[in-house]
Amino acid sequence: MNGRYVGLLVGLLILPAILVTVWLRNAQARLDNAEQAASGVAIASASEDAYCSPQLKQILRRVAGACGLLEGGARGCKPTDAKNVAALSGDDFNALFKPLNHRASIIQFDADTGALDEPGQQLVEKAWSDQRGASFFFVVSRASPDGNAERNQELSQERAQAVLQHLETRFQDPDIRKEVGLLWLGEEFAQLTDEFCAWTRSRGGECTAKDINRSAFVAWIDCAI
Amino acid sequence: MSEYPIIYEDDRSGSKPPVRADNPIKGLLFGVAGASGLGAIFAGLSTSDFVNHLDRQVHQIHCSFIPGAGAELGESGCRTVMMSPYSSLFRESMWGGLPISLWALAVFAYLIFRSTEFALRPSLRRKETLFLVAATGLPLMMSLIYGTLAAVKVGAMCKLCVGVYLASMTSFGLALAAHLKLPEEHGYDPSGPPYARWFGEGVLYVAVMTVLYMVAVPTSDKSLKGCGTLAKKDDPHGIMVPLSSGKGGTPAVAVLDPLCPACKAFEDRLDTSGLVGKLSLNAVLFPLDASCNWMVKESLHPGACAVSEAMLCDKDGADQILAWAFEHQEELRGEAAKDEAKLRRRLGEVFPKVKGCVGSAAIKNKVNKSLRWAVANALPVLTPQLFVGDRRVCDEDTDLGLEYTLAAMLADPGKSTGKGGKK
Repeated sequence: MNGRYVGLLVGLLILPAILVTVWLRNAQARLDNAEQAASGVAIASASEDAYCSPQLKQILRRVAGACGLLEGGARGCKPTDAKNVAALSGDDFNALFKPLNHRASIIQFDADTGALDEPGQQLVEKAWSDQRGASFFFVVSRASPDGNAERNQELSQERAQAVLQHLETRFQDPDIRKEVGLLWLGEEFAQLTDEFCAWTRSRGGECTAKDINRSAFVAWIDCAI
Repeated sequence: MSEYPIIYEDDRSGSKPPVRADNPIKGLLFGVAGASGLGAIFAGLSTSDFVNHLDRQVHQIHCSFIPGAGAELGESGCRTVMMSPYSSLFRESMWGGLPISLWALAVFAYLIFRSTEFALRPSLRRKETLFLVAATGLPLMMSLIYGTLAAVKVGAMCKLCVGVYLASMTSFGLALAAHLKLPEEHGYDPSGPPYARWFGEGVLYVAVMTVLYMVAVPTSDKSLKGCGTLAKKDDPHGIMVPLSSGKGGTPAVAVLDPLCPACKAFEDRLDTSGLVGKLSLNAVLFPLDASCNWMVKESLHPGACAVSEAMLCDKDGADQILAWAFEHQEELRGEAAKDEAKLRRRLGEVFPKVKGCVGSAAIKNKVNKSLRWAVANALPVLTPQLFVGDRRVCDEDTDLGLEYTLAAMLADPGKSTGKGGKK
């Protein structure tokens, strides 16, 4: 072996070796400086819709807290509770739900009964299955002013319970008790006006203020409260 | 190289004059060096692309018959081949493994040396050029093997690899031509060529490059520690879908979108890694489709909600539905973008068991629970994701580093480790 032989042997080995070493060192430097790949990626979370203003959230929190939702239960609450804890007028209370017109459904009942009919069941199921990213399912039941206030209070409670019971029977979902909040308002608080007849209802046809108040108003609330 | 024995064209009398390596033979030998140089460039570019990815990021890959041209970021045959398990060796021991192209680079560099050294000699014997024929036969043989693997197993062809194959064929052809052009040797031959030393020099090239690579390969603790853990891994709503491809020992969860191309590629890599059998693999469906997933503003994969519903409707047949969805991804996405109801009907026709279930309130609720499982575990909004035990495989470890990371996590499923990138 002469010098030319060795030079050729070593030179042709060193050249690729240097290149590969440089590539590897550059890769190590980039790796050391690299940020976590997932750092720019959104994290899965419950939804927060545009209508979730700080003021609305505060009211929701008060109402939900008073009705036991934030503790994970599905206790109902009566208008006295809602009025005292949320300090709301009926109109203010209804205003809470107006931005939910694309999410809410009104389940209608016959007069003087808390029985959920077939179209009502279907609409409850449809509303429930459209949870998307929402965390709380509100059921706000009412009664028309016909009859005495005490009976109407019982009637609205029966209507709210009928919705809950149907959900539990149909879906057998252990989360229902953590996600559903019931409010039975009877006839004395936050009566709906006939403008709500234009919302999604379980019954078509004629709709008066009385019809719309013999109801359970159901909606998923897309606010992280 | 006058110390080498003079070649005699012998008629058994030993009286013929020595044969000198004339210009045509020199030309052929320099041709071998040139073809090997081209092979070294293709192999070097391929190695460079591979090494670039050792920083765990996504980079452009050269994909052209013109050396250095055609750098692409998107999917290509070159990317598919590079990500395939055939592009490197020892993947379970080293992040990414040892690229085959590195050995190709070493062999071609050696062939440049050997053929140039022969070409510069004043005279040559056939026994010497026979070594060159054998040496150039090695990359030719590997080209045949890897070309077949690419066509049959990977189903994609890499242009740089084809460049290497062509360079291998050319250098072999020229070496053979040079060998055949030299006259036969019959007579006096006091010493044989130093085959062992030449072979040793070739081995030295490969060994030096290999050792250098193993010493300098980028390392990171992050792969083994994982990127997060499952906070709520239980499945009270029965949203997990068992995948038959993995019913081994260690519990694992793959977060998938049935119409996501990256999920399909990931599933393929997982299957070919040979490690899936050691996992008890469940899928959690996370369709990146705005029709059910509120976390995406626009549907990245239209129709993924419907296919997810079908998989949850028939968990026993979910594997077949997933395989079908993977096979027809592009077509299904296009169909759903135009008319999702049509896709739902098609699902019912192809998989009669899901008819009447897909689209029902109960199954939509189940898909929602699947998405909420991701919320409860604060997962990134992306697919695919893989959890081995509780540990999340980092996204950057789901391609080239999949085998290494999986093997390490399976060896130590319970706890994080701070060891480096080599075992």
